[in-house]
Amino acid sequence: MATPATSLPDLRTEYPPHAPGRVPAERSTLLGLLPGIALLAVVGYAGKFVEHFINTYGKAHHYVLPNIEYVLWAILFGILIANTVGLPRIFRAGVATYEFWLKAGIILLGARFILGDILKLGGISLTLVFIAFAFSLTFMTWLGRTFKLGPQLTTLLAVGSSVCGVSAIIATQGAIDADEEDSSTAIAAILALGAISLFTFPLIGHALHMSDRAYGLWAGLAVDNTAEATAAGALYSDAAGKFAVLAKTCRNALIGFVVLGYAIQWARKGLASRAATKQLDNKAAFLWKKFPKFVLGFLFISLLATLGSSTNPTIAALGFTKPQLVALGNLSRWAFLLTFAGVGLRTNLKDLFKQGARPFVVGALGEIAIAAVTLLLVLGASHFYHL
Amino acid sequence: MSTPSTRISTDTWAIVLSLALALIVRIGLLKVVPW
Repeated sequence: MATPATSLPDLRTEYPPHAPGRVPAERSTLLGLLPGIALLAVVGYAGKFVEHFINTYGKAHHYVLPNIEYVLWAILFGILIANTVGLPRIFRAGVATYEFWLKAGIILLGARFILGDILKLGGISLTLVFIAFAFSLTFMTWLGRTFKLGPQLTTLLAVGSSVCGVSAIIATQGAIDADEEDSSTAIAAILALGAISLFTFPLIGHALHMSDRAYGLWAGLAVDNTAEATAAGALYSDAAGKFAVLAKTCRNALIGFVVLGYAIQWARKGLASRAATKQLDNKAAFLWKKFPKFVLGFLFISLLATLGSSTNPTIAALGFTKPQLVALGNLSRWAFLLTFAGVGLRTNLKDLFKQGARPFVVGALGEIAIAAVTLLLVLGASHFYHL
Repeated sequence: MSTPSTRISTDTWAIVLSLALALIVRIGLLKVVPW
């Protein structure tokens, strides 16, 4: 007999497979998740081990070897496993939890920010997000029309590239009644481009000698999917990874408003189904439903970090001490390690190239333009705010 | 008609686990492996 869904912790990603034809991992028990989670840990730790080994070897033999962050190794090992021997069934459910570890990592990352920093950098990020939004929505819509993609696919690509990748596409799919194939294609395009950005962004950042803050902000604003944005930041440096998450979280927080905007527009045109239109009766509930709740956890942990740094001993006693913050920061890094391994393990190179050229070209042209515009915005902002 | 989902989201699980870990660290019961 099937076990009721509520009795099992379901830590799998909520998102459907990232490319057409992929079968989602089956619902599993906690025990069933363990092999996959163990694989994430082994692959992630192998990345960390290789980074450490290369550094130690270089120092011992007086070689100047490039310092490649463990993130890249973990992703590459994951891609290698998934695309050669493949991922045996027993690991699939556990590997699909990488999105859960990403969210846990982001919440715990709150320990590395005080609220003042979040407000300042979050404010700058939000301003840049709005400008980048306006640009990418307009540009992607124009590109989609020029390349004669369907209106649903164009909308999904526009939302995916301007808001937050996969989760935004899934949220919008329901609101505009797009079919599964359009959303799979849009997700595949966004993820393929995310994978490419992992290798290009750090190179551009180093070439321009960007600061950790400026680079992190850029990665968070331009890379679409949260896992890839976090990885692209961490590939540059630990600090850049932290700022990339902050900028990306600001983008994620806006997902509800963008989806609501599209839902209203589609309902007005009479293109949405009755079920999709009915959702709009209570707009506050709609916004809350689409709001990424883990952001609240991130803010709460950051609040406790801020209280702990207070000079008033009574207030400080409510928050975390410095060693506790270090411990939470480390927990966050361990959670991200599992995420990065998952990014590699779920990347199926064959699927990424199966999606058809036009959506990919539209996505790629859009992404290049968005990356260029956000880079200019960040460089401009860093001139004024000394990022 | 679609059945309302009873599934608890990954967001909720992530918040529960993170806050539980934060609490355990706060009361000094968890020593995190250094990064």
